[in-house]
Amino acid sequence: MSGGVTMGRTLKFNIFRFNPEDPASAPRMDAYFLEETEAMTLFIALNRIREEQDPALMFDFMCRAGICGSCAMMINGRPDLACHTKTKNLPAEITLMPMPVFKLVGDLSVDTGTWFRAMNEKVQSWIHTAKRFDPGQEEERMDNALAEEIYEMERCIECGCCVAACGKANMVPENFMGAAAFNRIARFMIDPRDERNNDEYFEVVGNEDGIFGCLGLLGCEDTCPKNIPLQDELGMLRRKMGFSQVKHLFRALLPGKKMA
Amino acid sequence: MDTFYTDLLCVGAGLAGERVAVAAAAGGFDSICLSIVPPRRSHSSAAQGGMQASLGNCCMGQGDCPDVHFADTVKGSDWGCDQEVARLFAETAPIAVREMAFWGIPWNRVVPGKSIYYKAGKQYEKVEAAERSGAIAARDFGGTAKWRTCYTSDGTGHTLLYTMDNEVVRLGVTVHDRVEALALIHDGITCMGVVARCLKTGKLRAYLGKATLIATGGYGKLYRESTNAVINWGDGAAVALDTGLVPIGNPEAVQFHPTGIVPTNILVTEGCRGDGGTLKDVNEERFMNIYEPAKQELASRDVVSRWMTHHIRIGKGVPSAYGPHLWLDIRHLGAQHIKTKLREVEEICNEFLDRDPITQLIPVRPAQHYSMGGVRTDKDGAAYGLKGLYAAGEAACWDLHGFNRLGGNSLAETIVAGRIVGEKIVEYLEGRQTEFKTSVVRQAVNREQERIEGLIGSTGKENVYELRAAMGDVLMDRVGIFRNQADLQGAVEKLQVLYDRSKKLGLRSTSVHGANPELGTALRLPGMVRLALCIAYGALTRTESRGAHAREDYPERNDRDWLKRTLAYWKNEGDPLPVLEYEKPSTVWQMPPGERGYGSTRIICSEDTEICIPKPETN
Amino acid sequence: MMADETISRVGPDRTEAYLDLLQMVTGVVLVAFMWAHMILVASVNLDLGGGRVMNVIARFFEATYMAQVGGPVIAAIMLAHFVFAARKLPFRAREQKAIWKHSLNFNHLDTWLWVIQAATAFIILIMGCIHMWTVLTSLPITAAKSARRIQGGWWLVFYLVLLPMIELHVGIGIYRIGVKWGFIKRAHRKALHRFENRLTLTMIGIGVVTLFTFLVLTKA
Ligand SMILES: Cc1cc2nc3c(=O)[nH]c(=O)nc-3n(C[C@H](O)[C@H](O)[C@H](O)COP(=O)(O)OP(=O)(O)OC[C@H]3O[C@@H](n4cnc5c(N)ncnc54)[C@H](O)[C@@H]3O)c2cc1C
Ligand code: HEM
Ligand code: HEM
Ligand code: SF4
Ligand code: F3S
Ligand code: FES
Repeated sequence: MSGGVTMGRTLKFNIFRFNPEDPASAPRMDAYFLEETEAMTLFIALNRIREEQDPALMFDFMCRAGICGSCAMMINGRPDLACHTKTKNLPAEITLMPMPVFKLVGDLSVDTGTWFRAMNEKVQSWIHTAKRFDPGQEEERMDNALAEEIYEMERCIECGCCVAACGKANMVPENFMGAAAFNRIARFMIDPRDERNNDEYFEVVGNEDGIFGCLGLLGCEDTCPKNIPLQDELGMLRRKMGFSQVKHLFRALLPGKKMA
Repeated sequence: MDTFYTDLLCVGAGLAGERVAVAAAAGGFDSICLSIVPPRRSHSSAAQGGMQASLGNCCMGQGDCPDVHFADTVKGSDWGCDQEVARLFAETAPIAVREMAFWGIPWNRVVPGKSIYYKAGKQYEKVEAAERSGAIAARDFGGTAKWRTCYTSDGTGHTLLYTMDNEVVRLGVTVHDRVEALALIHDGITCMGVVARCLKTGKLRAYLGKATLIATGGYGKLYRESTNAVINWGDGAAVALDTGLVPIGNPEAVQFHPTGIVPTNILVTEGCRGDGGTLKDVNEERFMNIYEPAKQELASRDVVSRWMTHHIRIGKGVPSAYGPHLWLDIRHLGAQHIKTKLREVEEICNEFLDRDPITQLIPVRPAQHYSMGGVRTDKDGAAYGLKGLYAAGEAACWDLHGFNRLGGNSLAETIVAGRIVGEKIVEYLEGRQTEFKTSVVRQAVNREQERIEGLIGSTGKENVYELRAAMGDVLMDRVGIFRNQADLQGAVEKLQVLYDRSKKLGLRSTSVHGANPELGTALRLPGMVRLALCIAYGALTRTESRGAHAREDYPERNDRDWLKRTLAYWKNEGDPLPVLEYEKPSTVWQMPPGERGYGSTRIICSEDTEICIPKPETN
Repeated sequence: MMADETISRVGPDRTEAYLDLLQMVTGVVLVAFMWAHMILVASVNLDLGGGRVMNVIARFFEATYMAQVGGPVIAAIMLAHFVFAARKLPFRAREQKAIWKHSLNFNHLDTWLWVIQAATAFIILIMGCIHMWTVLTSLPITAAKSARRIQGGWWLVFYLVLLPMIELHVGIGIYRIGVKWGFIKRAHRKALHRFENRLTLTMIGIGVVTLFTFLVLTKA
């Protein structure tokens, strides 16, 4: 892995260090130096630093192929997947920080698991249906174009970049749902198998923690490593959730009619 | 120390583990899933191509049925699989796929009308029937008679795992992520759970379950070059082996995938070839059409990987700084196809190779990909050797795949086996009271505690990472695609030396607070080397070629002597080698051993009348 | 309270949806007003023979009482808009620290746009009120009166500050409404943002010319 031709640059890595489990540890930045090699990624670089220089360094990798979402971190101030970030596209001095908003596990490693489980519970990320699965039945038909549209949204890898990149989530880390949650809701909204109506979706996202808390900062859109069309989905969601309520307003204002 | 009690303890929250947990929850039982990473990051999410189920919806899959799927699977396994299991599997797969559709997978669907497709570089036309419009579609994969691989673009594993985890969330199944099982708790008869280490705090925990499931996935990362994720160390197999009671089935059956990209070994899916991509050499000429006129690029993986290695050996590889490789060509499929059906491939090429597969060739070479072997179970998923212990998914040797797994059969295995094993576990749990003997639990925990203290206080000098790399080199260089006596003998000896050295590890990072990644690696290293020894020793002992196990010095498939499954035990921690036993692969012989229709045809026939009609069927 | 419970079971709390809609609607109304206002004031640059066009228009608005009524209405809408929009602003110290830290580290265009929006808002609130008070308490509006104010010097500085503030706020505001409500799609965002920038610059340009005209009006 460490093989390969050197590229002539010595890279300096400034890496955030803090082990919250260790009472003796205090947050600090440590510097490491590495000779850059051909096709070097941050996956290669960080593993070399750990194996050769500092075996205590904490970070997360899994698939090392940009598909599992484990390795998001702040790379020179921007959240991105470390495994698909090539050093040749970075300056010789590279600052690595853990993602904000999420709870720190240690050094560059943050607890996205707990956050996303809570998110999935909050948006009730599953098909809501009154039907029961019948093993003897053929599958319900679906238009392929629609299937592809759903897949487009289903491609989110729960890396958390959109959350770390969101000013709103940085301001109110405990509450704001984040773009990944909006994407998930949007995914179920276009899925005919999910029988939730607009009011039920509204119950989940039609509030200050949800789509109406979103400031439209588009940090999410501009950093999502999977290029999920977050801007368009968030726009659709705000429109649907906002405008669908206008009719309720009229109904409430019309004399003689009960709210129902 | 924290202790957790549950009905079913799932070690592993990939597709297999979660499917079993869902079955348990549906049966009214509690479960806790343990996982090193958040469940959706499990390696199942990396599977791209698709999963096999004989729905027969698309025109190229017409006439498909479980019988054909069964036959393909048995041939693919080189008659090494359990035919009873293969039958059960082929019959359940369509239901499992439809169930996943019901839960929300956006399977690609049949689009009626004319469309073109490619096979072996040539263009053909097909017409999908209007009445199948919108039914679940399938693509072509290696070693199959029909188009049978259901898919969602090239993110099938991802959508499957996300949908499965949605079910887990819906049913409120508890998941503890960043928890690593270190050892099984058992009294020699019954398994009671695991000792685990929390990777957030570094503390030990005891998890006690009336039933325990091992679903920890494959052990590709024992090899230097593997398409697997970095956590595929084989923990599950290692802790089972460690009991001395539970055997690993067919450890020597290791699959190499033809198309890992060079140099990072990231997989590009078989769907590339299934959709008509071709393999080319240094002269940008095809060669699979010469070696395998019938199936060409779509022979089974073991066969294609061998021919590729052969082709590189005769000097037709493309030289590079990372050694010789070959080319995968999907340019002729066109931008539209690549951007919709192979978009992860496009992304991987752009991001990791700086290459555009629409206009450029992709550098590929076979890399370790799949472990057919694993914790040996019966057809209900119950592990040999301990009561209350189960296994499913890639971690298990259920034995659906024998000596070679077909592409698309392992995603299918995870949810099919998960479904079946889950139901069996529910039956097992019903009315069961398990007594968790505190002395046994304490003893197991103490043993791990002592290992940790031993490592922290060790005066040893051996470097964890160096040993791990050395082990990867030995397996890669000597227990790879082509194997022979001398290499394997050398591998076993070298691994034994490494095993001894792994007992003298010295840590540079001695913190007991938090995960301490070096300590984590040190704790699992001896188990990894033991597993590596099972692979190498199993391969050395098996003097024949079957499926992915290709001996240059024994090129024939020897049904007379070797139509049997290896069972590797590690009886005592101090033993230098595993103990190998053998069993017949199946009691059911619906399909007697014959020729696969691709690959080598040298067979020494079985003389066992129970499994063989004396004259093997050709064709 | 039984009644409350019934209501809460009938439907979700829709307040946030209404507030967000109102924020947008007041924003759009104000943008429309500001563009119209800028063009009206800029009409001072034109002299079609019968004196400055601005005078003609101003007289028309006063004669129809549109200025006398419209002025306070605009003031009210602005106040309402402030109330709607300000609920998104970070008032707690911790939140302010977080957003500053984030903006500086992340250094991302659309995040900065929002920060500008929030900052200009406060300046506009204060300066806009002063300005409206001044103008509306000394009706009628005439080009000459305006020119006199501006030649006083202090008002020139005042407008030179307020002008870019309001134009930035208007331009960014309308662009942000576009992306937030999905009228501007991913495919067109870059192009429309560039267009919005040009528009803002043009409007500031026109405003500067107008101020210059006022400055030289009676002298000429
Ligand atoms: C790149 C790639 C592409 C593939 N493509 C296809 C394909 O197209 N079609 C197909 O059929 N198959 C494919 N496969 C194979 C298939 O994806 C896997 O075999 C299958 O997903 C394995 O699922 P699993 O549930 O058994 O294990 P995994 O998904 O690997 O899950 C293992 C789980 O165990 C946990 N775990 C591991 N060790 C421990 C421990 N010590 N303690 C606690 N938890 C632990 C992990 O955290 C994880 O949750 C592919 C494989 C690879 C590598
Ligand atoms: C005539 C003057 C004004 C005009 C034309 C105007 C216009 C706009 C517009 C179009 C938006 C975008 C609305 C949205 O995002 O939904 C906006 C946002 C905003 N306005 Fe104003 N506004 C004016 C005055 C003010 C004043 C006086 C304040 C109060 C301090 C203010 C505070 C804000 C804030 C804080 C936002 C940001 C809210 C957000 O985008 O989420 N504005 N304005
Ligand atoms: C209905 C209320 C308003 C009236 C009648 C009005 C009228 C005028 C008039 C007559 C002028 C010319 C200069 C002068 O006489 O001092 C002027 C200029 C200006 N006004 Fe207003 N105004 C109103 C509201 C606002 C508001 C709400 C804002 C912004 C917050 C604003 C911003 C400006 C600016 C920036 C100029 C300078 C114009 C330029 O440089 O072109 N006005 N306004
Ligand atoms: S939406 Fe994009 S950035 Fe956000 S979690 Fe999903 S993949 Fe990551
Ligand atoms: S960055 Fe945040 S504020 Fe909204 S547009 Fe994206 S979620
Ligand atoms: S390690 Fe999986 S996305 Fe980076």
